[in-house]
Amino acid sequence: MKPGDTVFSREVVPWLAVFFWIAVVLFVLVELVSSDFGAAVRGFMQGAFGGRRFAYLMTTLSRTALITGMALSVLLSFRAGLFNIGGEGQLVAGGLAAALVAVLVPGPPLLILALAILAAMLAGAVWALLSGFLQLYVGVPILVGSLLLNYPIRYIASYLVAHPYRDVASGMVQSHLVPQATWLPYFPGTRLDIGILFIVVAAIFTIAYSHTTVHGYQARLNGLAPDFARTVGLPVGKLAMQTLAMSGAIAGLVGAIAVFGIHHRYIDGMLVQPLYAWTGIIAVLLVGMIPWLVPFSGFFFAAIQTGAAGMERTAGVPKEIALVAQAVIILLVASRVSGALLSSSDRKAGGGDA
Amino acid sequence: MHASLKDIRVSFGSLVAVDNVSLEIAAGGIHAVVGENGAGKSTLMNVLFGLVRPQAGGIEIDGRPCSWASPQDAIASGLGMVHQHFMLQDDMTVLENIVLCAEPVSRFGFVDFAGARRKLAAGFAEHGIAIDLDAVVGELAVGQRQVVEILKMLYRDARLLILDEPTAVLTPQEKDRLFAILRSFAAGGKSVVIITHKLDEVMEIADHVSVMRGGRLISSGPLGDTSKEQIAREIIGGDLPPARKPQPREPGRRVLAVSGLATTSRSGPVGPVSFEVRAGEVVGIAGVSGNGQAELIQALTGLRKATAGAVALEDRDILALDVAGRRHAGISYIPEDRQRMGLALGATVSENANAGREDRAGFAAGPFLRRRAMADFARGLIERYRIRAGGPAARASTLSGGNKQKLVVGRELARKAPLIIAENPTWGVDIGAIDFIHGELMRMRDEGHAVLLVSTELDEVMALSDRILVMFEGRIAGEVAGPDATRKELGRLMTSRTGGTAEAA
Repeated sequence: MKPGDTVFSREVVPWLAVFFWIAVVLFVLVELVSSDFGAAVRGFMQGAFGGRRFAYLMTTLSRTALITGMALSVLLSFRAGLFNIGGEGQLVAGGLAAALVAVLVPGPPLLILALAILAAMLAGAVWALLSGFLQLYVGVPILVGSLLLNYPIRYIASYLVAHPYRDVASGMVQSHLVPQATWLPYFPGTRLDIGILFIVVAAIFTIAYSHTTVHGYQARLNGLAPDFARTVGLPVGKLAMQTLAMSGAIAGLVGAIAVFGIHHRYIDGMLVQPLYAWTGIIAVLLVGMIPWLVPFSGFFFAAIQTGAAGMERTAGVPKEIALVAQAVIILLVASRVSGALLSSSDRKAGGGDA
Repeated sequence: MHASLKDIRVSFGSLVAVDNVSLEIAAGGIHAVVGENGAGKSTLMNVLFGLVRPQAGGIEIDGRPCSWASPQDAIASGLGMVHQHFMLQDDMTVLENIVLCAEPVSRFGFVDFAGARRKLAAGFAEHGIAIDLDAVVGELAVGQRQVVEILKMLYRDARLLILDEPTAVLTPQEKDRLFAILRSFAAGGKSVVIITHKLDEVMEIADHVSVMRGGRLISSGPLGDTSKEQIAREIIGGDLPPARKPQPREPGRRVLAVSGLATTSRSGPVGPVSFEVRAGEVVGIAGVSGNGQAELIQALTGLRKATAGAVALEDRDILALDVAGRRHAGISYIPEDRQRMGLALGATVSENANAGREDRAGFAAGPFLRRRAMADFARGLIERYRIRAGGPAARASTLSGGNKQKLVVGRELARKAPLIIAENPTWGVDIGAIDFIHGELMRMRDEGHAVLLVSTELDEVMALSDRILVMFEGRIAGEVAGPDATRKELGRLMTSRTGGTAEAA
């Protein structure tokens, strides 16, 4: 960092400009539907961070946990050069496995909870490994394989909760409730379940893994330069499979948290409709795959979504306008962030063979 | 076109790449910019071409101040640049590559390929260029790809051409053809700038020479006012090292034994080849690029499957082992392509230096990295192999070509493996680095390591090798003892299989 005005003009001014443009676009949007701009902003802030006893902030945090979890899963594979965009399938596999184990296996609640979480992580890992096998042994690029594998698991899950394991009495396409004793408790005095703690652990694990472990180092070299990794004899196939397994396991864990912390059963579409996995990918790309920034990015996206909902509720801004606003914010911030990351990597990269 | 650079200054972090350099490039001549890698010559030309924005200074074209937002502006103003690493689309034809991003549009919005052909044909006649416009670029030889790059500039009516190390990948004949084209350009009033470190070529083609060292312009003037010796002294800032001559030495035990090794390549089968390398000797493999050397080396290192034959390293069959297994068994490999295979450019010097080490305790404790030990190791390499880098935490991409290569060489030689495979180890690096790398390879030989040197530079093979194998069309065309080798003899073997010893031992 250089001192004085250069930092200000280089780092701060562009951000101010971004916020200015966000404000302008939002203002125009809100004016279009003839609502009160101030009320819309208040609604947004209230929806994202406010509420009675910060109830909405808790909602934001709960969503942050799921988005961040998916982002961590994506981060692990992307850093290793594996474009695993099958997080959604791995998430569904995890949620489904968790719910079925908890519904079907009898036993002491804590043990069942642990077993279900392990089953979820295993299911996510297996689903991720499938795309790895497809790449290594069949030659289907992971980008394609992992994406396509999202569909079968979605429909397998739909079938299972629509027919064999459906809670018919509820009238909905969903599984039976998991035993109440296995539900993740709330933090005292809030409606926020402790699932976020699992994500905190996963985040610490991922950051530590990326920066301090041999495996993380080798996986990153493979991501940066696959030919180099092969040439210096890194076990690239093994690295890829192990990384995919870790990535899938974290996605599976997120599925289990959604089951035990929020929905308490598997409801058809509950992990697909909110686009957790895709938001996770954007959250990782937004911060240029820098591990410690990912939780912040996850929080940012969660806040935008809950804030938009709040804007709709209190200021009467239609949801569609809120969604457009959300897209505008993401676009402007993303262009700024990735622009800054690109130019800083350019600066560092220098002129190559100078 | 007359171009002048005024008081240009470029720095990357703490490294000053170009330090207040002013340079005049006159119209209608060939201007050579020489200097070691890292001297700032590529960076200076990247400034002229709009790829790098200087922190200070300006550009004037024909007396008018200019400032480029991107290379597109420079191209629009009549500048053209051929980079050391070609920027071509391999799957497209020559013609498609040439018009790419400057497509002539016919009345109905289609690309007017016929018009482009007519325009190019005029240039072909004027400058004596011959190339099949419908050939797919991926199937062309390196020299022809360079012609495509040059045609791209010609097509865009470039009046000032910058070529970065244009001869690094060319055979002598291809080089002659290139120089003829460049002379024709200069005669037609275009300005040509070539960035190079080969003094013979400077003497052969340049009208004007500028020498850079350590980011500064040391001298600039007509070729007639200077001499080869003076330029060399200015480049390295002292006297040239004496020519290297390997001390005759009795080779020791057999380290590598290759028998009947065969593999496949895009252009046909490679092998079977049989040869051996003993401890304390350098075996050179000469040949025009693309005659199976790369595939042979990949088959030896485990990067490519062998289809037949046997490879024994210290009497142990290694053909069944993977890359890591073979490295562990005792192979060090300096790959030709340092940008993609030698280094992970996005990673730090330290991360690159420690990759592929098998002494795990030296850089890891359990599953965790010992960052400090890694940095110390990298610092050791930086000192021992005189790598100019910002430090262990600097990104590999910030190093100049010669320093990148020293990092690769250092990493591989520090492993002290019995067999060292060096593939064009001095490709595109400067005199100082060449001399240093050659010295290190010879030191390894004298310490009793076996060195297999593959190089398309005859001078390099002849200077270092105890024995020279020549490859042609995937086979060994003949073997010559190092001290007896002549360019003529090697040149004959390089183009024909008439040596009759296709299975030279």
